[in-house]
Amino acid sequence: MSSDRLDSTNDDTGVARQRPIYSESQVIMTTVKAVIPFVLTYGLFITFHGTSSPGGGFQGGALIASVVLMIAFAFGIESTRKWLSNTLVVVLATLGVAIFAGIALVPMLLGANFLEYTAYYPLLGDALGLKRYEFVKYGMEAVEIGGIAFIVAGVLMGLFFALAAGMTPTSETNTVGDDVGTNASDNTSDADDATDGGDRP
Amino acid sequence: MSDALLPLLIALPLLAAIFPLLLGLRVDRAGWPVAMATSLVVAGLATRLAWAVSPWSGGGQRFVHDLAGYPAPYGIELVGDGLSAILALLIGVVAVAVVVYARTTGPDSNAFYSGYLLLVGGLLGMVLTGDLFNLFVFLEIVGLVSYALIASNDDGRAAYGALKYLFLGTTGASLYLIGVGYAFVATGTLNMLDMATELAALGYGDPMVQAAFGFILIGFMLKIAIFPLHTWQPDAYTYAPDTVSAFIAALVSTTAAYALIRIAYDVFTVDFFAANPLITDAVLIIASVSIVVGSLLALLQSDLKRVFAYSSVAQFGMILAAIGLQSETALFGAVIHLVGHGLMKATLFMGAGVLASAYGARTVADYAGLAKRAPITAGMMAVAGLALVGIPPSVGTLGKWFIALGAVEEGSWGVAAVIFLSTLLTLTYIGRLLEALYFTPAAEPDDADVAADTADALDTADSSVVADGGVDRVATERIIVVAVLALSTVALFAAADPLAAMLDPVFGRFFK
Amino acid sequence: MTDFLGVVTTRHAYALFVLLSAIGLYMMIANENLVKKIIGLNMFQTGVFLFFVTSAYRIGGAAPVVVEGGSPYVSPLPQVIVLTAIVVGISLTAVGLALIIRLYSEYGTLRADALREVVGDE
Repeated sequence: MSSDRLDSTNDDTGVARQRPIYSESQVIMTTVKAVIPFVLTYGLFITFHGTSSPGGGFQGGALIASVVLMIAFAFGIESTRKWLSNTLVVVLATLGVAIFAGIALVPMLLGANFLEYTAYYPLLGDALGLKRYEFVKYGMEAVEIGGIAFIVAGVLMGLFFALAAGMTPTSETNTVGDDVGTNASDNTSDADDATDGGDRP
Repeated sequence: MSDALLPLLIALPLLAAIFPLLLGLRVDRAGWPVAMATSLVVAGLATRLAWAVSPWSGGGQRFVHDLAGYPAPYGIELVGDGLSAILALLIGVVAVAVVVYARTTGPDSNAFYSGYLLLVGGLLGMVLTGDLFNLFVFLEIVGLVSYALIASNDDGRAAYGALKYLFLGTTGASLYLIGVGYAFVATGTLNMLDMATELAALGYGDPMVQAAFGFILIGFMLKIAIFPLHTWQPDAYTYAPDTVSAFIAALVSTTAAYALIRIAYDVFTVDFFAANPLITDAVLIIASVSIVVGSLLALLQSDLKRVFAYSSVAQFGMILAAIGLQSETALFGAVIHLVGHGLMKATLFMGAGVLASAYGARTVADYAGLAKRAPITAGMMAVAGLALVGIPPSVGTLGKWFIALGAVEEGSWGVAAVIFLSTLLTLTYIGRLLEALYFTPAAEPDDADVAADTADALDTADSSVVADGGVDRVATERIIVVAVLALSTVALFAAADPLAAMLDPVFGRFFK
Repeated sequence: MTDFLGVVTTRHAYALFVLLSAIGLYMMIANENLVKKIIGLNMFQTGVFLFFVTSAYRIGGAAPVVVEGGSPYVSPLPQVIVLTAIVVGISLTAVGLALIIRLYSEYGTLRADALREVVGDE
């Protein structure tokens, strides 16, 4: 595990730059190891219970992303990035958008309006045993859990690693280990941005 | 049936934005085909919408789509009428043009094309929505993606321009949100048409209504870049990559100006302005100052993209003046000028990008004698520049003519004088550009080295022989795009009657 | 503003909204550190959210989850507006911080006045 030294490297402009420090702290590591299952469960609870109590996709997704952030702070950002493969983060965010768009656009194919959940009733009402109005509740939950929570979790994780990668000076990218030039780590969603934080030679 | 076009126009680019990233996990350069295909589909759907809304198709003239089936005051509505359709068509056309231009220039990463598609989706959302808070959400989407796209090259100055734009743009959007909050607290609804009736019932002298309009106006002034809230525009346009400059200059301020027109005339109707002459006068004064100062500042710049950025301040000042004039002629001129200015600025920025890629020419001095080496590009830039001045036959003539006519009809001789003055000033800086291009002898013969150096730094993987006999590093399609857009600004001189026919029902509702 | 004390005691949340927004705006303008400008922006937006949430409140109102025999509910619409606006604010902060990191690694400074000089000279 690469533990970066605290040093100020002077480059040719004479400006001193500081590198981020990772120091192994037994307290943080043990606490995080004990706490993250509960945080993950709590995040999932808030996501699933969003229609009956305060919560929902945004908050739950942020909590789930914070699990990965805590692991990164406890065990080092580089090793966490290697463990959490790039593909997972990109697929998480894009799958969320795809699910949201799918659930929203299928009613248009069936002749109803955009996002009209009750249009699923002729199709799935008997198969799922639900009444017409109950489709609104379950449709909204599907969008929140399968769409928004995925998107928010994926984007927050991806953004964190993209920002953290940007903190290393460009002259030292080879010592840090990987190239952040894989733009797939920059994630997007309908409500978030597309930062190109790692596209550097 | 045609109202199903409205959510499709917004959802398709947003959905397509995931594909460059998803495919980028496997294939390296998957961004451009997805962006091209989506832009073509969007342009086609926008054409279909414009035709369905126009009086020649015999259909309805105003399409409404209730999201999730909830009727108007309870749900979010998407509305497409003549004004929205014209702007949606502009967005589609400029998107296709910029994607064709971007194939061999500009940032090529998959994240860039994802952001580009998100921006197209956000712009279409702003144009097609009928709900005030939905407008805020799309306004912020457009802003966010703009900040990220402006900073998408390796330049440190681009990050500086984007950060400045971020601070000012977010403040503008938050001020707009405060205005919407005041209006919501006063009336209890967020739907645009519903709020119009509720505000009328409340009375236009109510301080809450006036404060709401004040905040919304200032918020949009920050987004449209009217003097003195324009300071983000020169840095953001100058330091951004050329593709991004062209797209953002053509469309982002344009849709913000459309949103202001929509809110000023559909939500706060002309009766509001009649009841508050102080607000009308303030709008006219600020707009006039912006016109004069924008043109003057454009004269003082040497970097060409900066000249065009300041010129935008002046042109949008003219559009704000047209909003304040409360005249149907002036508003018609404003809509024509929105469309025309979008096309003209896209041409100018793209042409400047071509010359910068081929010859490294950034300032007016660098442009000396380039007309001999790049005749087509220089000619097309001259056409667009003269259209900007307002020399007939061009769409710029139409816009300025109708706004000035409206000013004279309303008796605002000050505004008419200011428009005349700004035309003279525009002639000065465009004239300076033309003089450098055509009448100044070229600089010393080490231009070839300069061009070769800059060309080496580019992505020369696709260098085809160029049609204007210049340095062979600029792909033909870029020049074709510049030429097509420039000629369209001339061709649209004949578009006054069709546009008037399309806008007639909308203006009938605004000015009843 | 004839009854200043009355306003402060009964509508203190609106006064707080003005105060928070003004402090945030001042921080954005006057402070030279870029990160503090972002904090000021966040504070300005928080003031706006406070305005919306205050406008939703009803004295004695319950959370807007329909139960049998529930008392009057607070209005859920401004709360949804604030939720969406918070998410927008988070993304803006993220983009702003990414840009600041880029600026720092490029120019080595976090001060806006130094950046203005350096970028203006280039």
